[in-house]
Amino acid sequence: MRGRFLQTPEAMAGTAILVLLATMALAAPLIFPGDPLRIAGPALVPPFQDWTLPLGTDRLGRDVLAELFHGARTSLVVGLAAAAASLAVGAVIGTLAGFAGGLADEALMRLTDAFQTVPGFLLALAFVSIVGPSLSVVVMAIALSAWTGPARIARAEVLSIRERDFVAGARVVGMHPLEIAFREVLPNALPPVLALSSIIVAQAILIEAALSFLGLGDPNRVTWGGMVAEGRTVLRTAPFLSIVPGIALVVTVLGVYLAGEGAVESAAVKKGLS
Amino acid sequence: MAEHLLTVDGLAKRFRRGDSTVAAAEAISFHIDAAETLALAGPSGSGKSTVARLLLRLIEPDAGSVTFEGENWLALEGAPLRTHRAKMQMVFQDPLAAFNPRATVARVLDDPLRIHRIAPRAERPRRIAGLLERVGLSTDLAGRAVHEVSGGQRQRVAIARAIATKPSLIVLDEAVSALDVSVRGKILELLADLQRTDGIAYLFISHDLGLVRVFAHRVAILDGGRLAEQGDARAVIDAPQSAVGKALVAATPKLHGFTGQDAS
Repeated sequence: MRGRFLQTPEAMAGTAILVLLATMALAAPLIFPGDPLRIAGPALVPPFQDWTLPLGTDRLGRDVLAELFHGARTSLVVGLAAAAASLAVGAVIGTLAGFAGGLADEALMRLTDAFQTVPGFLLALAFVSIVGPSLSVVVMAIALSAWTGPARIARAEVLSIRERDFVAGARVVGMHPLEIAFREVLPNALPPVLALSSIIVAQAILIEAALSFLGLGDPNRVTWGGMVAEGRTVLRTAPFLSIVPGIALVVTVLGVYLAGEGAVESAAVKKGLS
Repeated sequence: MAEHLLTVDGLAKRFRRGDSTVAAAEAISFHIDAAETLALAGPSGSGKSTVARLLLRLIEPDAGSVTFEGENWLALEGAPLRTHRAKMQMVFQDPLAAFNPRATVARVLDDPLRIHRIAPRAERPRRIAGLLERVGLSTDLAGRAVHEVSGGQRQRVAIARAIATKPSLIVLDEAVSALDVSVRGKILELLADLQRTDGIAYLFISHDLGLVRVFAHRVAILDGGRLAEQGDARAVIDAPQSAVGKALVAATPKLHGFTGQDAS
């Protein structure tokens, strides 16, 4: 599976980007120990001038490269945590709706509709501005709108799986309906739901960046969105301050998409061969 | 009148198809005694599987009554129904579809032991090994995934699961139809042996009258959701009275000892 996964150039590029990003995130406290928000040199040093500060400094003299590394941590943590939360919530709600049917299905799916009709970013914005900015609140705010996709797909899968003989078999054995739903049906409904994860991770990273840009990110952490916002005030004199984290965001989202596409593709090939 | 193990009276089920409804089962009445095999035969679409699913409460009937072990079987709901399910088990036609694709043999057999509190956790591996031996399988099979073992072995696992709760009735829904002829004979031998030793009754659903004649004590022939005739298996098959019975007998291969038609 792994061999086939890495065969397409897109999947290879995506994986390489993600590995690089993960390494950056993990190595950040080793390469750039201490607070990345502290002042490291004179203000507004352009990139590639001073090799102790390879990407220069920002308006307050903070090391841009250190900020970039530490920002990778925030982006990855938020992306993965938000995706995990929304996949878990979505899969559970979708399974309950599909398996229970009837009134419970109707109620849960109308709830899903309600969340889906509100723009995800507005929902996150409202949630963070009410509860207050911190990393876990940002993760919850993003998951609040992202769980609807997994819920719909899980429900559709469960609707077909629950008619299969092995579910009837589990009922004949006397298994409790909740156990049938979560132990027999849900694991078999997961693969198409997990295929959504790359899209959700990428969206979560972008939403987090946008929230930070608007000043609603966790103020004690460096985020790429916050860096873009910070650079905005000196956009004419030092555009690199916004461009560098902007590029990092684009590359990250691209990497997540490509790797996700590769995973889905190789899963499809695997299915087709078996 | 002696109490039967299972008494079915006037069972009926209609399915909606578009604007109209189709009777999948109508006025079905029969009984099964302990350690007896009643065959339910009939052409495709005659309602055999519907009757099986009605009995196992996988679908709910529109009318009729079912008395099983002296209790009103259709009145059971929720937890009491789940408890009573131990006594009526089922073996499905397609042994691959009947198991969770992710399950191992051990997990399949562990479920009934756990759910019906037949054995404490520590004792279950031993009970699983015992069940595997009872159906003629190697105990090494326990750790294998169900989809890794052969069709015949898989159907033996299904039988092991069905007998794990010590049922008094097992519904065999075309349980040997998907197996090749040599495996089929051995599974039927196993089932007959279980009936002798444990006194299990079978509702043997099949479209193959050759099999029914050798395996069942009595037969009920279904046609279009209604019972066409029932009686002693040999007597009915040797001299069918109903039109559908005659047609089914005529369709059975005449070669002596040959009973193998492929499953539809």
